[in-house]
Amino acid sequence: MTIQRQSRLRELRRAAPFVLPFLLLFVVVYLVPTGYSVVQSFFAVKRSGLGLGGAEAVFAGLGNYVRVFQDGDFIASLGRVSFIGIIQVPVMLGIALILALLIDSSVSTGRKFFRVAYFVPYGLPGVIAALVWSFLYAPTLSPITGFFASIGVDVSFVTDGALPFSIANILTWAWTGYNTILIFAALQAIPEETMEAAALDGCSGWKAALLIKVPLIRPALLLTLVFSIIGTFQLYNEPATMKSVAPNLPSTYTPIMAALRSLSANDFNYAAAQSVVLGALICVLSVLVFRASARSVD
Amino acid sequence: MLNRNARLTAAAVIAATGIALTGCSGSTGASTGGPVKITFWGWASGYEKSVALWNESHPDIQVKYEAIANGGAGGYDKMLTAAKAGTAPCLAQIGYETFSSFLAAGMLQDISQYVKPRQAEFADWVWGNVGIDGTAYGVPVDTAPMGMFYRSDLFTAAGIAAPKTWEEFKAAAAAVKAADPKARIMNLPTDPYLYAGFAWQGGAPWFGVNGDAWTVSLDSATNSKVAGYWQGLFDQDLVTSYPAFDAALYSAWNSGKVWAEVGPVWSASLIRDNAAGSAGKWAVAAMPRWGTTDSVGNSGGSATAVMKGCANPKEATEFAMWMSTNDKSVSNLIESAAILPASKSGLANAALDTPESYYGGQAIYQLFRTESAKVNPNWRWGPVMSTTASALGDGLGKVPTKSATFQDALNGAQTGTVSALQAQGFSVSK
Repeated sequence: MTIQRQSRLRELRRAAPFVLPFLLLFVVVYLVPTGYSVVQSFFAVKRSGLGLGGAEAVFAGLGNYVRVFQDGDFIASLGRVSFIGIIQVPVMLGIALILALLIDSSVSTGRKFFRVAYFVPYGLPGVIAALVWSFLYAPTLSPITGFFASIGVDVSFVTDGALPFSIANILTWAWTGYNTILIFAALQAIPEETMEAAALDGCSGWKAALLIKVPLIRPALLLTLVFSIIGTFQLYNEPATMKSVAPNLPSTYTPIMAALRSLSANDFNYAAAQSVVLGALICVLSVLVFRASARSVD
Repeated sequence: MLNRNARLTAAAVIAATGIALTGCSGSTGASTGGPVKITFWGWASGYEKSVALWNESHPDIQVKYEAIANGGAGGYDKMLTAAKAGTAPCLAQIGYETFSSFLAAGMLQDISQYVKPRQAEFADWVWGNVGIDGTAYGVPVDTAPMGMFYRSDLFTAAGIAAPKTWEEFKAAAAAVKAADPKARIMNLPTDPYLYAGFAWQGGAPWFGVNGDAWTVSLDSATNSKVAGYWQGLFDQDLVTSYPAFDAALYSAWNSGKVWAEVGPVWSASLIRDNAAGSAGKWAVAAMPRWGTTDSVGNSGGSATAVMKGCANPKEATEFAMWMSTNDKSVSNLIESAAILPASKSGLANAALDTPESYYGGQAIYQLFRTESAKVNPNWRWGPVMSTTASALGDGLGKVPTKSATFQDALNGAQTGTVSALQAQGFSVSK
């Protein structure tokens, strides 16, 4: 017993220099701010009259959380990102899967070129991509709108109804390549013997891809799915940038934009509660996705 | 007898205490040794040079200027966060529209006693932007009275006179459309702060103080009147509806698709810098009036505020006052930031008499100098302006797509503002 404990201790001591820096960073830049936000979210400011005497922080219990769930703008923002996610994530992952299967298939010529080409959009900062697309969407500047106008068709990418699709399009453009590479990497890891055996059994081409390859890369697909869901709920760059060409895009379009608006209004505690709710929601969603898929594997 | 070591230690302790004491007294503003040090956060171009001028001539009070992001672009967030963390600077550039928000956040220091003796050096209405009920928390730097910028070449060619009232403006709008079916007189003011200038002129305040409570009147009858006017122009297709500050609007100014812009004094540089192709063809006239009421709107302007926790409020105020009134400093600010000074001595500055070649050699700032005396004094900004402005902006942004009207936008801003005030613990009077 004692010998075992001692050796464990020694192991810990040896591992410490490698683990501690990580732990320290994790605590300082992740746990502490998160904890601070959670604490802040249980307080509210108390003012009197005109509020010129300044504000005093008082314990508010779940008051801010009640406010979050009664906040029509915040609920609507959650609805919007869910809507965008439900449409955009399957489309994007579908395209990414097809592209990855194509690169992985016998089309060996230009494989490297396509791999890089698909990845390029991901290398561009999100804001730049959003800016470029904004110009393509701007009603008076857009060459696309201009082209359709010249043949007598009135097209707008920034009407209230078109906005979710315009934003989804930017997301798809920017992230498909990234997901393609992740899926492709998983495809590369499939042992050649497996595919040879499948071929011997008479399974090849698209059939082999769908029946053998896709089930084998399920973990990678799952990972891209979770990343994409998280990304959609954290939507900010694209709508914030597009606001300059689409003033009808409300300043609380996404949950992060809504929280930021509370922050600018000096409503720190409420912004903290909004952030905590958003974070919790993403956590729960990610766990649910992992759970659901684990069950279907069993 | 103390040995050498003990004596050295004692000396060190005394020296350290001495430093600590001066440090302490320095923070209460009663320091005698060394220059007073003041930090100043701002973003307007030219501030840095004014600070350098001050530092040259005032060795006892040294100001350290730190350029931060523009207020609306994150500067205010930075100030709020710094104040919360206790690291706020002594002085900060704050726009009038956001001043009440800082005041209500309890982040500014009452400096009335230091500015009182020199209050007469500024127009009365300007003080209303930096305090409530006769108090002052900062020193005004500039104001932004509104005027009408217009393409005099196109107006003359079409035989349309520059409109003097809003009635005439509407008639002129129809005449412009008749003269050139592809052109309109102006772009719809859908930026919340630009629109505020029109409400300001129309005697349609958004906020007031009733005893110990705020009043919110964005949905008042007078506000509906001003809103109805612009909605009318839009409904009759007499104005364009480009997004505010958009490249499409700039190109329309340049190409003669939009003939005029009623905007604050700083529109002068906005138009000049973004519509260079139409240089020399623009002119400036007074803002159209409502009937016979001789009053003007204002949209912009800022102050040097003294933030809470500033150790040397007296010296900080002295610098702020100097920056806004000293001839050299004001000349520098007019030249590099194109401001219209808030102080009376600043308004007398000869730099404002320079003819502007972009505006056909007209000395346009002379007009704004006169107009600044006619700004409607009954305007007060609210304590949650960023919420008010984004709620109003969200509504106004929907007007061009016809999914909302100006009145809807005002109603939305009224509800949003009142609920934000109540949620943050302010008293709101009905």
